[in-house]
Amino acid sequence: MNASRDIARDGSAPLKARAVPARRSFGWLNSSKGLGIVLLTPALMLVVLFFLAPVVLTAVFAFTNMSTATGITGGAYQVSPGTLRVLTDRYGMRELAARLGQPTYIVDEEGLAALEEMGIDPGIIAGLRDEHLGETYSSRREFEREIRDLPDRPSTRTVKQISAEFSRSLANARFGNAGALVAAAEAIDPDLGDAEKEALLDATYTGWTWTTDNFRRLASSPQTTRVLLNTVFFVALTLTLFNTGFAMVLAITTHYIPERPAGIFRIIWFLPRISPAVIYVLLWKWLAWDTGFISAFLDNFGVRPRNWMLGSATNAWVFVILINGFVGASMGMVIFASAIKAIPQSLFHAASVDGAYRWQQVRHIILPHLKWPILFVTCYQTLSLLTAIDHILLSTDGGPGGSTEVWSLWVYHTALNNYAGNLQYGYGAAMALVLVVIGVVLSLIYLRLFNYSALIVKPRIEH
Amino acid sequence: MRILLDKFSKSFGDVRVIEDMTLEIKDGEMLALLGPSGCGKSTTLFAICGIHKVTGGRILFGDRDMTGVPSQERNVGVVFQSYALYPHMTVAENIAFPLRIRKLPEAEVKRQMEEMANLVHIEALLDRRPAELSGGQQQRVALARALVRRPNVLLLDEPLANLDAKLRLEMRSEIRRIQLETGITAILVTHDQVEAMSMCDRIAIMNAGEIIQIATPQEMYRNPRTAFVAGFLGNPPIAFIEAEARGGMLAVKDADIRLPMPANATTPPDGTPVIVGIRPENLGRDGDAPIRGRISFVETQGRENLYDLTLANGSVLRSIQRESDDVSLNDEVEWRVRSDQLFLFAQNGERL
Repeated sequence: MNASRDIARDGSAPLKARAVPARRSFGWLNSSKGLGIVLLTPALMLVVLFFLAPVVLTAVFAFTNMSTATGITGGAYQVSPGTLRVLTDRYGMRELAARLGQPTYIVDEEGLAALEEMGIDPGIIAGLRDEHLGETYSSRREFEREIRDLPDRPSTRTVKQISAEFSRSLANARFGNAGALVAAAEAIDPDLGDAEKEALLDATYTGWTWTTDNFRRLASSPQTTRVLLNTVFFVALTLTLFNTGFAMVLAITTHYIPERPAGIFRIIWFLPRISPAVIYVLLWKWLAWDTGFISAFLDNFGVRPRNWMLGSATNAWVFVILINGFVGASMGMVIFASAIKAIPQSLFHAASVDGAYRWQQVRHIILPHLKWPILFVTCYQTLSLLTAIDHILLSTDGGPGGSTEVWSLWVYHTALNNYAGNLQYGYGAAMALVLVVIGVVLSLIYLRLFNYSALIVKPRIEH
Repeated sequence: MRILLDKFSKSFGDVRVIEDMTLEIKDGEMLALLGPSGCGKSTTLFAICGIHKVTGGRILFGDRDMTGVPSQERNVGVVFQSYALYPHMTVAENIAFPLRIRKLPEAEVKRQMEEMANLVHIEALLDRRPAELSGGQQQRVALARALVRRPNVLLLDEPLANLDAKLRLEMRSEIRRIQLETGITAILVTHDQVEAMSMCDRIAIMNAGEIIQIATPQEMYRNPRTAFVAGFLGNPPIAFIEAEARGGMLAVKDADIRLPMPANATTPPDGTPVIVGIRPENLGRDGDAPIRGRISFVETQGRENLYDLTLANGSVLRSIQRESDDVSLNDEVEWRVRSDQLFLFAQNGERL
């Protein structure tokens, strides 16, 4: 006994000696904290890259007016009839707009220098400087009359050349920065107030700016209500009819049929989920096209072929809900089926001898046991349907006439792909942000509902 | 109500569990189906309540053929081994469930439910859920739920298996009390011979899908038909030794021991190998046939001591005696057997 203990002690000594340095450098890997961080790193990176960063960027873009027109980099200051109209309409600065829009002629050193460059007779230049420096004319004719009256009497051609050099109109002028625009405007109207400058800069800027207009626009747009109703309609119907309702029917029927056919049945209902969305929707389109299966079949009965999917808003909804529902039903089916399987067989036996027939067993045994799975599927699928886009995009693309446009698709159409070609990144981001907020709020409510903190509470068993 | 299984057979796929079994349970009787696990006793029970469809034969309740009747219409009360209480219902709802399913008027449901709760003494627990009950209380609820619809027969599937030793004793007498009070026909499935003997009027002992013997507990203990039955009943169990008939005596194999032939046995011809069964209480200081051996094990049970007696040929006999200090481990002793209490079995286990 003693001898073997000694051997064990001797044997372990060199092992320990070797283990010590290794422990020193990688010891933190042995603690659950150290190793936990290492193991979590990839997941954390993915969360940051694919969840947090997009959300943060969406939130940032939501407060800009970025679009195809503004670009996503900076911009310039462009005075155009359009911007002058903005000045009049939005800022009520009709006079300023009129002044800036008019052709204006100012005799200044800058113009005189330009004339010298062009090689105009120095006598004319001297005459202009002496008699008219600093004067302003609002009409070309008046200015040209004054030029003709100069002692040197320039030719008509020269008069035109000279007057062009002193034209200081802002119309259709483009400035690289705010300072240049303000300087030019002040040259026309030295008494420009701060408010007027501000308005001018705002109205003429072609780049993006920070704004909360997106949300104001969203709140007041009639399309918002329509798309919102579409979304609620889509989520509610798909959820009740298929994701829980039909899933429940599948789970219960497969519970009562023998194991093997039940398995085959479940696999068939899983096909929509595991097949690629494009191919799956393409099959539906083939079914519904005017040369598709439905049309070809009904042709035998004298029904004129037509596109059954996009023929009317009702048809479009039927197809959208079927397409999404058949995909969504499988998840509920699996969850409900496993929950039913978890009910002890003896409960069904007890219910049978207590006199409960199958539908009574469903009502009194199965449904009460499915309370939590139903709640879970409802919560989970609400979130997933709120953001569902792929199948609708591929099938109806929101059509016909926007009748099946749901929120997420509307975001996509506004920000990333629309017929008009002006992609409103900022507005779309604002819409998406609304969806993110709804999703986060719902998630928090659900986590509360499921008592998430109780689920992840530390086990009381020693670790 | 009288229950009759008439040439009842049950097989699962190719596995034949029970073949041509005939069993009659008299009205108001409590019968135990006793046997080792896998002998088909639970299968029989499930066939009677209709959960398993029978493969052959008939099941009669009274004069009515119930073979094809679904379990919902058989009106049987079953207490399952796991009790199978509905976890989402309160005790009151559990007990009332069979009545509500039959759409009885609510006042009637309440009256019968309370009456049954009183019978099994759980009046105070009606608002609790099964998870908030102890094992014994769950057992009582299961019993109340089984009895509330006044079933034709009460079936108990190992009802005491999940209880601790003390509760088991208590529930044993409780179930018997309730059965006698209601006068219901009952079948108890168990692998525990003590339960079967203490609770039931008659015992049907089963092995490998066959009923070996049906008798009252006392008769079965005193007069087992086979070595299997003798081995199954009695605690501590009976001991068997191999012997040979020789000149009207029994010569124990490889040992210098001769036992007289029991009076109630038919004497086999000389040279026939036989098996002798000796119950522990029949080996001790009193008796007429001496047996020598070495004490190889002593187990103190308080009032009594249990000894293992190893014979010269290596076989072990058991003896239970009043507690005493005069023998200890490894002592060589000469004890005696009461030869009129010996059981003699043929090589195939049949009683001679």
